[in-house]
Amino acid sequence: MSAIEAIPVAAASEQDELYQEAAHAHGAALERLARAYEADAELRRDLLQEIHVALWRSFNGFDRRCSLRTWIYRVAHNVAASHVLRERRANAQTLVGLEELEQLPDANRGPAAADRSHALNRLLELIQRLKPLDRNVILAYLEGMDAASIAEISGLSPGNVATKIHRIKQVLARQFQQRAVPAGPVRAEEAHD
Amino acid sequence: MTEHSNPVQELWQSQPLEGIKVSLEEIRRRAGKFERRILWRNRRETAACVLTCVLFVYFMHGAPSLWFRISYGLFIAGMIWVAVQLHRKASARSLPAEMGASGALQFFRGELERQRNSIRNVWPWYLAPTVPGYIVLNIAWAMARPQHRWALVGFDVFVVALFVGVWKLNQWGARCLQRKIDELNAASNE
Repeated sequence: MSAIEAIPVAAASEQDELYQEAAHAHGAALERLARAYEADAELRRDLLQEIHVALWRSFNGFDRRCSLRTWIYRVAHNVAASHVLRERRANAQTLVGLEELEQLPDANRGPAAADRSHALNRLLELIQRLKPLDRNVILAYLEGMDAASIAEISGLSPGNVATKIHRIKQVLARQFQQRAVPAGPVRAEEAHD
Repeated sequence: MTEHSNPVQELWQSQPLEGIKVSLEEIRRRAGKFERRILWRNRRETAACVLTCVLFVYFMHGAPSLWFRISYGLFIAGMIWVAVQLHRKASARSLPAEMGASGALQFFRGELERQRNSIRNVWPWYLAPTVPGYIVLNIAWAMARPQHRWALVGFDVFVVALFVGVWKLNQWGARCLQRKIDELNAASNE
């Protein structure tokens, strides 16, 4: 697969330029998003490509009524949510809401929690169990967005988002207390695949 | 977006990635493939409809009575109605630009509502159009072969049971989807 930088920018239309800007600025976040929605490596690559194609096609109708970032995340989340809807027919996994996630037992016991890569895998497992709307909110929160941006992307009211973020913080605090997330990089081979 | 106000956000944002990049050529190729798939699906549906209509026209020509001809004519009309509805429903699918214009809540609810309406209304757009033709065909057979009327009644019972079964199954599916929509509405009003 050739890199997007290989395309001469001068020849690109506005649609192409917007896509290139999006891929350059948010490519990593989109990959993390795909990882949060699909555990299987092969299907994840397909999902990521599907997101990129949908993003490129969407820029044909980008009306600038919202920021580029909001547009990108809406398209990406909506493509991923459709993917979840489709795939759930194949694997009948029960998805839960944030409320049910709060009832999960504390994961900070046992040696596994002390390892950073295990902490990341555990985080991914938690996210992948969530219903699409709650997954949307937690992912935007993990990407460091504020409540107003999350509300714009999710379509929820700011008050509702604030409540959900409060719950997310409680769940994450219980599941990943400071000692459970050791500093330092996670090696690629250790990461969830 | 690079500020890490807590260690879990830092853990999430610093996770190792494959660094997958998709070239514009690849995107255009895939988008073109998608458009071609839609085009071929539409062509297939149209071809199936035309073929069935041609078949019924052929039957009409060789039909032994006016009742048979009327029944085949009604089947043709029903087939065209179903094909038009199929095409309309396929065109109503969300486009990527709509995905960017609506938030996750609205998009997800819209998708669920679209699926629910599609299966809830299966009777008027998919099952009912074939009923007039079927009824007239029954009359035609009953008049042509009165000695076989009980076999005809038996077959009718089977067909009615099949129709009711399909309808009930779809109603059940629609109720499941409605529960999910209600959940979403409740979540948005919390």
